Amino acid sequence: MSLRRATIVEGLQHILGADSVVTDERILKESSIDRFRMFEDIHGVYTQPIPAAVAMARSTEQVAGVLRFANEHGINVVARTGRTATEGGLETAVPDSVVLDGSGMNQILAIDAYNMQATCQCGVPLQVLEDRVREHGLTTGHSPQSKPLAHMGGLTATRSIGQLSTLYGGIEDMIVGLEAVFPDGTVTRIKNVPRRAVGPDIRHVIIGNEGTLCYITEVTVKLFPYLPENNIFLGYTVDTMKTGFEVLREVMVNGYRPSVARLYDPADGAYHFAHFVPEGLSVLIFVAEGPAGIAKATAEGIEAIVAQHPECRQVESRYISTWFADLNWGPDKIAREREDILQTGNINRTTEVSGDWGCINDIYENALRRIIEEIPDITMAGGHSSHSYINGTNMYFNYFYNVVDCGPEEEVTKYHTPINRIICEETLRYGGAIVHHHGLGKARTPWVRDEYGSSYYILEGLKRAFDPKGIMNKGTIIPA
Amino acid sequence: MNAVRILVCFKVTPDYEALREADWVAGEGGGAHGSGAAGGGTGAASRVETRYVPRILDCFDESALEMALRMREAAAGGTVPVELGAISIGGKEVERHLKTLQALGYERVTRVDTDADLDFAPTVTASIIARYVENTNNTDLLMLGWRSGPHDGGTVPFLVAEELGWPCLTQVTEVVVLSSDRVRVAHVVDDGVLRVTVRLPCVLGVGNAVVARLRVPTLTDRLAQRGAPVERVQGGDLGIDVAAELAREASVLADLEVIRRDRPGVIVGGESPREKAQTLFDSCLKSMIEKL
Amino acid sequence: MRSLAVVDGTVGTAARQARALGGFLREGSSGHGAAETLVLYRDECDVGRLVEQAPTRGVRLVKTAGGRPDAIVGILAALARDEGCRLFIFAGGYSGTESATRLAHRTGGAVVTDALSIEVGSDRLLCRRHVYSKHMVGRFELSASPWCVSIDVSWGDAQTAAALEHVVLSATDETGTAAEVDETRFEDLELTQSTPTGDLAQSRFLVVAGAGAGSREGVERVAAAARRMGADFGVSRPVAMSAWAPVDRLVGVSGTRTAPELCVVVGVSGAPALYWGIEKAGFIAAIDLDERAPIAKSADAVILDDGVMVIEELAKIIASSRE
Ligand SMILES: Cc1cc2nc3c(=O)[nH]c(=O)nc-3n(C[C@H](O)[C@H](O)[C@H](O)COP(=O)(O)OP(=O)(O)OC[C@H]3O[C@@H](n4cnc5c(N)ncnc54)[C@H](O)[C@@H]3O)c2cc1C
Repeated sequence: MSLRRATIVEGLQHILGADSVVTDERILKESSIDRFRMFEDIHGVYTQPIPAAVAMARSTEQVAGVLRFANEHGINVVARTGRTATEGGLETAVPDSVVLDGSGMNQILAIDAYNMQATCQCGVPLQVLEDRVREHGLTTGHSPQSKPLAHMGGLTATRSIGQLSTLYGGIEDMIVGLEAVFPDGTVTRIKNVPRRAVGPDIRHVIIGNEGTLCYITEVTVKLFPYLPENNIFLGYTVDTMKTGFEVLREVMVNGYRPSVARLYDPADGAYHFAHFVPEGLSVLIFVAEGPAGIAKATAEGIEAIVAQHPECRQVESRYISTWFADLNWGPDKIAREREDILQTGNINRTTEVSGDWGCINDIYENALRRIIEEIPDITMAGGHSSHSYINGTNMYFNYFYNVVDCGPEEEVTKYHTPINRIICEETLRYGGAIVHHHGLGKARTPWVRDEYGSSYYILEGLKRAFDPKGIMNKGTIIPA
Repeated sequence: MNAVRILVCFKVTPDYEALREADWVAGEGGGAHGSGAAGGGTGAASRVETRYVPRILDCFDESALEMALRMREAAAGGTVPVELGAISIGGKEVERHLKTLQALGYERVTRVDTDADLDFAPTVTASIIARYVENTNNTDLLMLGWRSGPHDGGTVPFLVAEELGWPCLTQVTEVVVLSSDRVRVAHVVDDGVLRVTVRLPCVLGVGNAVVARLRVPTLTDRLAQRGAPVERVQGGDLGIDVAAELAREASVLADLEVIRRDRPGVIVGGESPREKAQTLFDSCLKSMIEKL
Repeated sequence: MRSLAVVDGTVGTAARQARALGGFLREGSSGHGAAETLVLYRDECDVGRLVEQAPTRGVRLVKTAGGRPDAIVGILAALARDEGCRLFIFAGGYSGTESATRLAHRTGGAVVTDALSIEVGSDRLLCRRHVYSKHMVGRFELSASPWCVSIDVSWGDAQTAAALEHVVLSATDETGTAAEVDETRFEDLELTQSTPTGDLAQSRFLVVAGAGAGSREGVERVAAAARRMGADFGVSRPVAMSAWAPVDRLVGVSGTRTAPELCVVVGVSGAPALYWGIEKAGFIAAIDLDERAPIAKSADAVILDDGVMVIEELAKIIASSRE
């Protein structure tokens, strides 16, 4: 039996104090969604159940208190920190949910420059952590585009990845230990050690759980020396994506680890590079970093590989470094984006998948062809690869469409979901993964069973074991 | 019924927001058109290096381009046909935008082909536009941003109007086509907003309009216009020797100063938002607020 | 007579023009600005007041048919031609820009708008003005004269000077001089008067929210905090344009230029277009997460933290200090 809203609010106030329980109607509406329904939000239309309250937690104890309360009374809890989620992970799919906001837990607890690790609470913006560790000449190596906005809790919960991933890895390669609270209020801490073999790596139950198993309250991440003075920026135009993928592969397979290894197709590239790249060409970008000798050797290795491909032509590296410096999204770009959408009805969406070297170009070509053929009102469809591995790479589909002849509440069903369907179908067909780094959220759950296949058994088991009452972010990862 | 023939002039400028703080210094020359060797200034000292950042439509010009499309839609409900043309002075980088405008329904798109650096040459810019309008003799209403580009002087609309002997209103925020020879215009003047009906032809400099962003054409729109021609015109075709005119520009940018906006920037410390706010209040705001 | 300041007395902004020109002549032209003021007026104007406000001792009165800025340009062009007037200085804004530009065109002179300062040389005029969207100041050299200068609107902040003993040097009637542009082409004029800058220009205590407030919710929380601490509330352009706050709250180049004694900015990056709107503030306190934002160097005090949280705390503190 679920409680009525007033009782929920009262219960929360008892745990957190009245000041920390938000019930303002407008705020609740805006808290019922994330960027997946940004078009509705911009038009002031809210189609999801409105949460009962936003609970602002200030400590692990408060998080535990709220979860225990919710678990006891069967109240759906949506964990939240930086609010940059793009896949519906923050949607309150069930009436009278509680949004548990950890953005107030924003203390950096330790920067240990000797053991090269930093510990912080879940509500610390990555940018803040990065700035602090840079004062010690260090870096987290984590640089998602949302760095100025996203918080450490959310970044861990979504298995995020940064633009320097080819060298530093994704968040899963950076997390040393963590603290998380489970629905019954159990607080668990995983200690910070270099590596251990004491059974399965249980960090991975927590990393990427998207608020469906537990609430992440604290994380410890690795640190690396920050040596930007050694960075070498390389850029090339290339005639076809196929050759571009081939170059990426050779760079990886030959053992080079640039921090950035990217390939833009002509449509996506035109948004960034039209001032120096002729129409119709793809663009390859590399950044070599690290100690001077390694950066130099990496750059030379890449140059030698590229030289084997006569269709690659080098561009001035300052174009690349200038572009790179303006890549991140802060509040200004978010505001500007809203203005654009409001005025033009034109909206930008993305879907990121991955595949091995053998299939990535097929996924890219087929999905794109189908989007253009099957979806109306497309104004741009393209993509880039931005995270490469020894066995394959990702594809970040980037597309814009005009929302016409439908209400704001139909934007998702008319355009976004059909496009997601095409991309997921094509990816699954070739054996790729339907989500590379944004998380499944609620948007891509229709394909989650096909994604997991027989291993879905493990996922369901985790949910049953850690969230037996199903109060954690209903509809996320596991379809409602 | 005669059509109202609108010509919108636009400029493609570097996206200044993509420049870093450290980039705001007098550079090696550049400007929107590449090397800047043909510049009207005295070279390096008078230009910021903007070559490395993306190009965008100047914001007021972008407003004008969208306003013209909406004027046509609004006028189409009535009896007045509207024809749209667009023109830009510049290098090849301009054509991408002209193609977009074609896909959006602009019938005539023109590039005045020059790689001369006209960033600080409003007189030359104005005479190119005026000569084009005179030569083609098919414009009733000329629209452009009321100020634009790095120079941002707000003189071009008036200079064009002087050349053509047309009336000119700037800081225009709304325009409605009333008939084939009249438009109703709202524009900001020094003591308020003036609404006025103007008999065409005239020049309108678009200001802070609510309509600020240009719509986006679909891939299908683009495909349909793929082969449509872009008119290319040289200074010479208009009877203008651009280099000579540049040399005659009577107001020349000699050099640049970095603006110092420095204040002490004392960092207020504290453990929590509460503590920081309290420290700020105690150390300075308290006494100031008491005096207010 | 070699140089003139021009006050268009036929419009409602004459007093403001005169004050701005006065400030410019004292502080912006190293004393070499205009020696005399040309005041244009119409029948219904209070000529006595116009003379009293004039920024120079010597005043020339010209009666015109009035109307559009264009109408006065012909009169000024004649002065340039007949009396060799070499420098014309107009107040900033709409009509100043139009008059200066048209006059330069008709006389073969040179125009510069939004002048921050000028230096008058024997055959050159040097003028400083903002360029690159207020990121830089450019120094322009004007060769051909007359030099037609309209001054930056920031001169409108100038103080009123001590009263001058004015001398009316001449009074002419030019009501017969026809405007170059046919006035009959303008019909149904309808002026909605407003002080273009609104109430924010008068604010003494101002809070400004930028995109860093993060959301409509954030902006509204900052607005509520501003109310609580008795401050006026303004926003940056991105905030206004994403419809998180009304456009009349806009501070900066496309909105209001303010001069509060105390200004608290929340989540404002410090882009020049916004900063221009607060640069006259007596004291600027900035709250921002990003210590590399330009505002951190152009504020007096900086708090590095979540802007919304800090301003709410500050509001509590200020409100309770008033009790
Ligand atoms: C402009 C832009 C650029 C982006 N670029 C990248 C990129 O380069 N790389 C990338 O990986 N992602 C990117 N993203 C996606 C997004 O930033 C990431 O998913 C990020 O990790 C979310 O962090 P957040 O703090 O904003 O989390 P939120 O949006 O608050 O939450 C995200 C998800 O995590 C859950 N969650 C949040 N906090 C917790 C917690 N403490 N415990 C348990 N679950 C929690 C939520 O329920 C939700 O499902 C981008 C997004 C935007 C808007």
